[in-house]
Amino acid sequence: MKRVLKLYVNGEILEILSEPHKTLLEVLREDLGLTGTKRACDLGTCGACTVLINGKPHLSCLTLAADAQGKEILTIEGLSQDGELHPLQKAFVEQGAIQCGFCTPGMILTAKAFLEKHPHPSEEEVKKAISGNLCRCTGYVKIVEAILSVARGVKEVPGS
Amino acid sequence: MRLPEFEYVDPKTLREATKLLSSGPKGSVLLAGGTDLLVSMKHQLLRPSRVVNLKAVPRLAYIANQKDGLKIGPLTSLHELASSRIVRRRYPALSYAAAQVGAYALQAMGTLGGNLCQGNRCRFYNQSSVWRGVRPPCFKTGGNICHVVPVRKTNGRTSGSCHSTYCGDLAPVLISLGSQMRLVGPNGGRSLPLEKLFTQSGKKSLSLKPGEILEEVLVPPPSGKTVYLKWRLRDALEFPLIGLALHLETRTGGKIQQAKVIFTGVGPGPVETLEAEKMLMGGLLNAGLVEKVSSHVGNELSPMRTSMVSPAYKRQMAGILLKQALDQMY
Repeated sequence: MKRVLKLYVNGEILEILSEPHKTLLEVLREDLGLTGTKRACDLGTCGACTVLINGKPHLSCLTLAADAQGKEILTIEGLSQDGELHPLQKAFVEQGAIQCGFCTPGMILTAKAFLEKHPHPSEEEVKKAISGNLCRCTGYVKIVEAILSVARGVKEVPGS
Repeated sequence: MRLPEFEYVDPKTLREATKLLSSGPKGSVLLAGGTDLLVSMKHQLLRPSRVVNLKAVPRLAYIANQKDGLKIGPLTSLHELASSRIVRRRYPALSYAAAQVGAYALQAMGTLGGNLCQGNRCRFYNQSSVWRGVRPPCFKTGGNICHVVPVRKTNGRTSGSCHSTYCGDLAPVLISLGSQMRLVGPNGGRSLPLEKLFTQSGKKSLSLKPGEILEEVLVPPPSGKTVYLKWRLRDALEFPLIGLALHLETRTGGKIQQAKVIFTGVGPGPVETLEAEKMLMGGLLNAGLVEKVSSHVGNELSPMRTSMVSPAYKRQMAGILLKQALDQMY
């Protein structure tokens, strides 16, 4: 039976009618049209569906939408401020860290949560942090470089 | 992959949760982090009619350092366990084990209770329903055969049992530390040593009674030294092919007073190798003893071919892990 879900997505409170067996990924993509969050393995392995819930990376394919109520959800669409890309987004573009782009939203959101906790990470720590985000183009070198460049360039990640 | 339909409930108290869990029309399951449960539901290994969201119950995520030890709430996330300063300082093996589960997002979602109560795994079981469809259902999916060790039919009947494997990273460490658990059910609570959570049977791997919920884990004050070693082919995401928790307490003079050697990934529950422990007790840790115990320990294990590696490989790796762990104890 459908019921009203109240979700706090990208700073907006949204009310939708949904069934309890819908995952957050399904609701974001199908009901809210936020297709920046990607569906790939759908089993919690690849990290393409990563969103931030209360600032921490969560796999939206393994999160029930009903369970995400009352929590702060951030998708890739909510990252830029007033048309200005987030420093991580800029770095990914400038450093060529985007190939097909499918893993990018998950990579950037995982990196954002990580950098907020560890503003000055080593290369090893960055690699560990994104180890749950698979890039099938295997463009890891550029991705790690882009994340490190943000860590070196700015003291604090805006929006933290 | 869509989830099958179910009724979703948000209990407000543990008591309400146990009631909802035991009174479901056709199978109710408890949702914590969801990283194990929802995958099993997507694979249609579980088709519960009701999902009880434990996260709706407040105050179940905590790490409290008290006189009688560390009290950990069941909804404490693996990320919190791995990054807690007190856990890292006083129980480094536990902190390390939590950091080895999955990756960042899985650690942020996964919980202590969910990790301990995770389902047993098998290469014939943890597959999509389409993949499984080419074989008759196994013991764990309601059938009467185990594809790991198919037993021939005698008089039209089959015998044998489920050989699915427990692959949790935290249980061996917590058991080696002498942890206790508190369970709460529809008829009250009970406290037991953590190892009693496991039945050592593949088909029903947990001893929880209908409606029972893990309420708290109590880790006694640290003594001696504990290490956890996890062996897998990739250094992230994977379950252990085999894991080892080793706990040693030595007297002044170096004699071993207390030894716990507990493996994961080699049996239907965490496996304690009692002979190896006996060999260590009362001994002095030197190269001779390390060699003797580590070359023996594989003989005490009977892993099955439930993952991509052979039982012989796991037995050999058990010896290598124990040698590495003992070497760290010097």
